[in-house]
Amino acid sequence: MIDHSTPALGLRRRLRQSRDRLATLLISAGGIGVIAAVLAIGVFLALEVAPLFTSASVDAETSPLALNREQDEVAWMQVDGPAQITLLDSHGTVWQGSPSQTLAPVARLGQEQAIVSTAHTSRWLALGLSQGEVILVPRGDDARPRWSQASRYALFAGQPVDELVMQGNDDERWLLAGRSDTDDVAIIMKRGATDTARRHALAERASHLALGGDRLVLADDSQLSVWSLAASEPRSLGQLTAVSADRQITAMTYLVGGETLLVGDSGGGIRRWLNTHGEAAPLVAAEPYRGMDNAPVIGLLAFPERRLALAIGADGGLALYQALAGQRWRGKTPDGLPRAVDFTADGRALWWLGDMGLTRLAITAEHAEVSWETLWTPVLYEGHDEALHRWQVATGGVESETRFGLAPLAWGTLKAAAWALVFAIPLALGAAVHSAVYMSAHLRTRIKPTLELMEALPGVVIGFVAGLVLAPYVERHLAGALALAVILPLGMLLAGALWARLPHGLRARLPLGWAGIWLMPWLALLVWLAMYSAPSLEALVFGGDLRAWLETRLGLDYASRNAMIVGLAMGFAVVPTIYALAEDALAGVPRSLGEGAQALGATRWQALWRVLLPAASPGIFSAVMIGAGRAVGETMIVLMATGNTALMSWNPFEGLRSAAANLAIELPEAAVGSTHYRLLFLSALLLFVFTFCVNTLAEVVRLRLKRRYRHLGSGT
Amino acid sequence: MTSWRRQGEGGWPWLAAGSVALSLLALLALLVLLGSRGLAHFWPAPVEVVTLESGERFAGQRVRQERIAGDPQVDVLYRTGNRDLDGSYWRWVGAGAIDTRRYPDDLLVLEREHWGEFLGRLVALRAAGDAVPLPAASDEAWHVLRERLTRVEALREQRRQLSEDVIAPLARRLAALRSSEALDPARQQTLTEQWEAARQRLDALDTALARDALILESVDGQRLEQPLAGVLAAWRPNAMSWVDRLLHWGRGVGRFLSEGPRAGSLEGGVWPAIFGTVMMVLLMSLIVTPFGVLAAVYLNEVARQGPLIRLVRIAVRNLAGVPSIVYGVFGLGVFVYGIGGQLDSWFFSERLPSPTFGTGGLLWASLTLALLTLPVVIVATEEGLARIPDQQREGALALGATRYEMLRRVVLPMAVPAMLTGVILAVARAAGEVAPLMLVGVARLAPQLPLDGEFPFLHLDSKFMHLGYHIYNIGFQGGDVERALPLVYASALLLVVVIVVLNLTAIFLRHHLRARHRAPER
Repeated sequence: MIDHSTPALGLRRRLRQSRDRLATLLISAGGIGVIAAVLAIGVFLALEVAPLFTSASVDAETSPLALNREQDEVAWMQVDGPAQITLLDSHGTVWQGSPSQTLAPVARLGQEQAIVSTAHTSRWLALGLSQGEVILVPRGDDARPRWSQASRYALFAGQPVDELVMQGNDDERWLLAGRSDTDDVAIIMKRGATDTARRHALAERASHLALGGDRLVLADDSQLSVWSLAASEPRSLGQLTAVSADRQITAMTYLVGGETLLVGDSGGGIRRWLNTHGEAAPLVAAEPYRGMDNAPVIGLLAFPERRLALAIGADGGLALYQALAGQRWRGKTPDGLPRAVDFTADGRALWWLGDMGLTRLAITAEHAEVSWETLWTPVLYEGHDEALHRWQVATGGVESETRFGLAPLAWGTLKAAAWALVFAIPLALGAAVHSAVYMSAHLRTRIKPTLELMEALPGVVIGFVAGLVLAPYVERHLAGALALAVILPLGMLLAGALWARLPHGLRARLPLGWAGIWLMPWLALLVWLAMYSAPSLEALVFGGDLRAWLETRLGLDYASRNAMIVGLAMGFAVVPTIYALAEDALAGVPRSLGEGAQALGATRWQALWRVLLPAASPGIFSAVMIGAGRAVGETMIVLMATGNTALMSWNPFEGLRSAAANLAIELPEAAVGSTHYRLLFLSALLLFVFTFCVNTLAEVVRLRLKRRYRHLGSGT
Repeated sequence: MTSWRRQGEGGWPWLAAGSVALSLLALLALLVLLGSRGLAHFWPAPVEVVTLESGERFAGQRVRQERIAGDPQVDVLYRTGNRDLDGSYWRWVGAGAIDTRRYPDDLLVLEREHWGEFLGRLVALRAAGDAVPLPAASDEAWHVLRERLTRVEALREQRRQLSEDVIAPLARRLAALRSSEALDPARQQTLTEQWEAARQRLDALDTALARDALILESVDGQRLEQPLAGVLAAWRPNAMSWVDRLLHWGRGVGRFLSEGPRAGSLEGGVWPAIFGTVMMVLLMSLIVTPFGVLAAVYLNEVARQGPLIRLVRIAVRNLAGVPSIVYGVFGLGVFVYGIGGQLDSWFFSERLPSPTFGTGGLLWASLTLALLTLPVVIVATEEGLARIPDQQREGALALGATRYEMLRRVVLPMAVPAMLTGVILAVARAAGEVAPLMLVGVARLAPQLPLDGEFPFLHLDSKFMHLGYHIYNIGFQGGDVERALPLVYASALLLVVVIVVLNLTAIFLRHHLRARHRAPER
């Protein structure tokens, strides 16, 4: 009699139990953790992308801080912080200190006329006086005006300078335009160290001015008149009607870069105009933005470093506009109309001096230039006359505009994948059909691992061969390469016809089941023949140079690394994937079906075409889908076998830039958290979602098919 | 025609058979191309002395000939070397312009540290400033050169050992001593003395190395003085026997595999790239194996099989189809900028703003690739687990084993070959992936290996070279593609061989496994 309940055995049993529970717990935790980590990829990408689509906002951060000075008299303001501001009042006294307590005079300009208008650039502060003169104050590297170095220029004879605009971030080169209370316009320009400042009066009237680069735009009622100040004499570039006749232009400003002009009208409409550089109209209009609720636009404040502007409506409405994306936010002004405003250097905040005092407005518009429309629809970019799809990351600082259109990348991705499938589908499906139906069983067990090996060939090797060997070769032998597309299929048919005429003995030596092997030398011979005879063929039909012929007759440019080459190389990489899955689907069809058809007198091909293929079609579809998913995400082959130019064209002989290759090129250089960085993450997310969905669909189809086969198989 | 009809099959079967043949032909062509070009690079090709009809002469190795479309003439490309004499490395010549071609035995090819190869003749030898007359017979002159070269090689090896094993550690210790707060004058004194002594030995070696120089003459009569210290190898291809050539070829392959890249990666070998690839793959498999197996065991043995698990299984399978670059993006965002940035701010804040872990490196690359290959391991292991008949499990449980004991003693041992298959497949995939590495830590040139004798020995934060990226880099980012091409071929061949061998192992294992654990027939 063995006692199974001794304390020692009980302890051991409990130990084993608890060890088992612990192991189960650990395995579960580990397994769930690993799976969660892997699945977290999509979540993480989405989290990185999400800030792109958060809405912009302009919020008053503080309640108005009352000044201990008369606010009406403030002509200009510079804010370094809530406790340190610099004010210039209209009498020319400069005050410094904390706004509500210790504002003390620190300098005086010493003019007797009142300051009625101001304009500034990063190097200059211009003050328009009530008797037609202008004071120019240079600013130091810290942006502080050097009050003692002010100089004076006469702009008008006696009339007050009601509006001033200025350009020039250089000590020796600047432009200044002013408008008097009688709507006369005059400019002063200094064109370099050796030039003296010269005044020109324009023979045109204007109610508003805007100056961008060396273009001066005058607005009068509904008309815009554009002047070029590039030469030593102002030159008119032409006029155009900017708003409908029942409205007037009420506000205008150029955005940073001097290429984009925003025009606001009395009906609350705001529209973007771009400088053109051709002979036609001097400005081209973009689609109007969403307006300001019919209230006249009385002010447009351009941001210093970004293509953003705040629009102020007569009804106290305030709206934030981005040049490309349009209205990003709208609300109310914090405190009536501004007497003076000052942007912080990074453009993320704005100091607003209103009726009740000084308010800081926080501007949240990190990724304001991106909206779903700007990403996917054609956009009118600076320097172009028509709306375009473009992906082009600016390298020239704020002056050049970035072009974030994802459409060219999506186009490139799909074009490359489509060409890959054009080559891969016939080859892979043909191979699958052959090996499922005709191929000898012995050969089949050898062919499958061979093609698996082909799948394992690294993309970088295939890409290198495509880019450095195949592309130059095809470029030199284009005619021969194109002829292959006809010659090879014809050659296969010819082989079949010849085979049928062979004597019996020889035919038994070359069975159809081994045709995959013994056709190889025949095809190699055909390839050689095509390449050998191509030059004479080319000379005969295309006048000796097919590429020139393509260019002149069909208007097709030829780039050495192009979509065809990518298609060939990536097709080669995708063939094994599609082949393996399609072959599985075909081989999985219960044998009874095919045999039944053949017993009823069908040939093998008829049985295949009428019975096997319909039965296996979902599996073949899923094979193609998975192949497409692989082609869409393949990076190295596309990177190496195309010129990586973000073009959108149907031409198979031009390069392309796919989303995956673009990631490999640009992401290492993109600044973390920037719009560019997040957009690259967005393209990664799209790739992820696309391939994940395609693969899931394919997998579901495949599983369902498997169940159906089991059903069919057991039914007989 | 009639017999076609009678069979009733038409041409379709032939098109299908043709596509098999075409796919195999393409694969074969690729492998033959890689194999022939990759191996031919090390073969000592004969040097031709070409005399043009214009009377001009030059020496070169024939690379290939081409016919430009629309141009009846065939152009021949020669690799002429001597870049320091005539400024270019290549020469295209119209085949029609060639008058004679000769293969003189005394033509010499020198592989040099700078300026690439030299093709020409040896005129004299200069030792310590005095010209040493060379024997008149070129064979004897060649022997003298070989002897001198052996001496230089030995000196060079000594110099390398001295600078790597003595000087570099000393310099590091001195630098560490200077930067540390505590002053230790005695220690600094001894270190400085050792340093000075080593420097003197180095200078002596340098002087000895600089003793000899060669006076060379190119075929068209230009003379050149070449310090012998800058000559890495010399051979006379036209005078070599087949055995010599084979030996030379073997040495070339050996040096390709064991040396670092030189001259902007256009010359030299790929050893750091091989090492970096292997290191990264090893680390990756250390990470991916336990986690992959854990997840597979959970999915197949522990979790209750329901619709949720089915969904998870589909999702995991699909992750294998997610583009590799997406994993790279994830790795960059999470590992490099996320975790790496945090680690830097916690532990390496004194080195900021230059990042330590907050930039791509070996660890992050391995982790990213581990994530990428995780589905491969999970799927393969699961397949193996599913193949184990339930009777085995039930038997173990019936004998009183707990589930943990059943898993450990019965199921997992049986699944080991499946896991191995999965890991090998994962390794094969990881070895060939380049795109994600471009984001998380591969470097164009990192001659310093990530494993060395200095604490902490394995530098997880260091950038590394990778064979696949090396191919992309020298073939597409460099300047002289023509010159890079042979090396690209050789590297590609190496990569393909490694991957094919790994895959064959996996295929063999799987085959073997299927035969062993065939589910009992019902």
